[in-house]
Amino acid sequence: MAQAPDFPGLDFGDRFRFWPKHNEKIYERLEGKHAWLEEKQAARGDGDLPVTEKVEKDPLENEMILNIGPQHPATHGVLRCVVKLDGETVEKSVLDIGYLHRGIEKLAEHKTYQEFMPYTDRMDYLAPYSNNVAWCLAVEKLAGIEVPDRAQWIRMIMSELARISSHCLWLGVGMMDAGAVSGFIWTFQQREEIYAIMDEVAGARFTVSHSRIGGVANDFSPRAIEMIEDFTDSFLDEVDGWETLLNRNRIWVERNRDVGRITKEEALELGVTGPNLRGSGVPYDVRRFEPYLKYDEVDFTIPVREEGDCLARYFLRLDEMKQSVRIIKQCLDRMTEGPIRSDDAKEAYPSKEEVYYSMEGMIHDFMYTDVGTVPPKGAHSYHAVEGPKGELGFYLTSDGTGRPWRVRINAPSFTNLQAMEYIMEGSLVADTVVIIGSLDPVMGEADK
Amino acid sequence: MPDPSDPRASEPNDPEELRFQYTPSDEPTPEQEIDNPHAKDTTRVPAVIDALRTEFGDDIHDVERYANEDTVYVAKQRIQDICRFLKEDEEFDYFVDLGGIDNFTDEDRYEVFYNIVSTERQKRIRLKVRVDEADMRVPSVTDIYRAANWNEREAYDMFGFEFVDHPDPRRMYMPEDFEYHPLRKEFPQLGVPGSLPLPPQTPDGDLTMDPFAAAHGSQPRKSYEEPPVDADSDE
Repeated sequence: MAQAPDFPGLDFGDRFRFWPKHNEKIYERLEGKHAWLEEKQAARGDGDLPVTEKVEKDPLENEMILNIGPQHPATHGVLRCVVKLDGETVEKSVLDIGYLHRGIEKLAEHKTYQEFMPYTDRMDYLAPYSNNVAWCLAVEKLAGIEVPDRAQWIRMIMSELARISSHCLWLGVGMMDAGAVSGFIWTFQQREEIYAIMDEVAGARFTVSHSRIGGVANDFSPRAIEMIEDFTDSFLDEVDGWETLLNRNRIWVERNRDVGRITKEEALELGVTGPNLRGSGVPYDVRRFEPYLKYDEVDFTIPVREEGDCLARYFLRLDEMKQSVRIIKQCLDRMTEGPIRSDDAKEAYPSKEEVYYSMEGMIHDFMYTDVGTVPPKGAHSYHAVEGPKGELGFYLTSDGTGRPWRVRINAPSFTNLQAMEYIMEGSLVADTVVIIGSLDPVMGEADK
Repeated sequence: MPDPSDPRASEPNDPEELRFQYTPSDEPTPEQEIDNPHAKDTTRVPAVIDALRTEFGDDIHDVERYANEDTVYVAKQRIQDICRFLKEDEEFDYFVDLGGIDNFTDEDRYEVFYNIVSTERQKRIRLKVRVDEADMRVPSVTDIYRAANWNEREAYDMFGFEFVDHPDPRRMYMPEDFEYHPLRKEFPQLGVPGSLPLPPQTPDGDLTMDPFAAAHGSQPRKSYEEPPVDADSDE
């Protein structure tokens, strides 16, 4: 049986029968770790790192080890935080992830490129469309497939809707984490409308799988365009309502201001991505850095905030939603008529009309399902998109068959969670919940 | 040699022979090195490669290019110096990604790649080191880029690299009690039966050994005691 570490106030006995070595190592790490504050002080030259030694006495019994999660609603999934508390302050924290690990990088090696797409829906399950687009673009770059213009506009509109949908959920649960439960219902009303649009466009509300390699599955119906227009017209009023409620709300501001602050240098050092990076003053957005689809042709701004605390990230995400609406409106105006999928049978599925009414169409459909897209042997490329959580990239290696040799997923939530381990140190226990909410991790993506 | 007169002799014994043998596609043409409908300006970094060559000479092995992306193969022992040079002299301040690749070859079986971005110069570079199966040690770059910490843990978990001087060499996703490295090519997609105990199904029961053991053709161990079978009965 594993020997549980012994420090004050801790007596596990033989409670860890299940993965004893794993738990033992986590507690060892928690003991041996240097808090980030200590490391920063040592780097500045204000004294050396303290030698980690067992604290023999804790007369006031202030110290305590607390497991938050994995089954805790405030962790937004199956995130386990093991924190060492000194009174109410988090002294050190260690995160344990992997409770949702499904090994999708391994699964991808046994699937054709198109077959893997439904798995991407289940990565960042709050914005599946962004993941579909990220995957398709990565494969298209690897195989050198050109996508028709109309498909690119459709993908852009739907990705921005996915971003709004993800930020709506973040705001709803963020408010709930801070104590305002009714806000959750209001943002979910908007999410419901986006679900309805997804349903109309893709035939599925949640895990849409609508994008295809070489284009999209089907075109917008007139009803879908109407719904998107209605949504973009009404959504900004809703955001105004939320802003009226929160921007000057004393509880909200005091729960968020100066909580989980990261400076610009720290953000780059910790490698945080997406709104969290921009909230600290780094104007890094893949839509600008490496424009994909038609993002270099539409007019929008990248909101950046300097403060780097939870309140800055709140303002930034609200601004991002407004910019998304602006992008969608421009896309609807500029969308051209035309094909929605590549016409090459080696690049994309044929249309259903071809499959049902022509022999070649059926053969192509069969061949595409069996072999699919075949990138050159030994080719490897990385393509990233700006998902709602940050830079979502796929690094693909091909061995010249229809299945990828290696798929590497660069998941933004994974990157952000790594930083959270440090950000939590020095904050209050009550604030950890707000910090988790404000960094917006999704475990489906972080755990792959 | 099968006897052609015997029709049964032609039946393949090896299920591999039944498989549709697909000829892999060709290697990329020289045009594909640059031309790509999704090519980005950021991924082409000739100036940085020149600077690396003058600084490190033969330790920069070769440069590969595909879809306008530069991949620089560097010597494993110098990776820390190269990363420090990139960060301090070439303004590559933002560490994006690190991961392993199993090429399943006799020599230099594994690769570790580093994806680093310069937010100032708007450039992205990919470094790669080759790792032989006999020596899985790779110098850790966590001293230079703190963000590499979890990625290196994940690469260790999935491939078994030993990142030297890593501050926290634990597994990332799998529990420490797990003995394999799942993204290696020899690891079966279905997993290894019994390799990962799961919690008991009753408060005082044994650990559940493998809920999907039947998929591998083995019987799972019961997590409860069955009444003893009468030895005299025929069944």
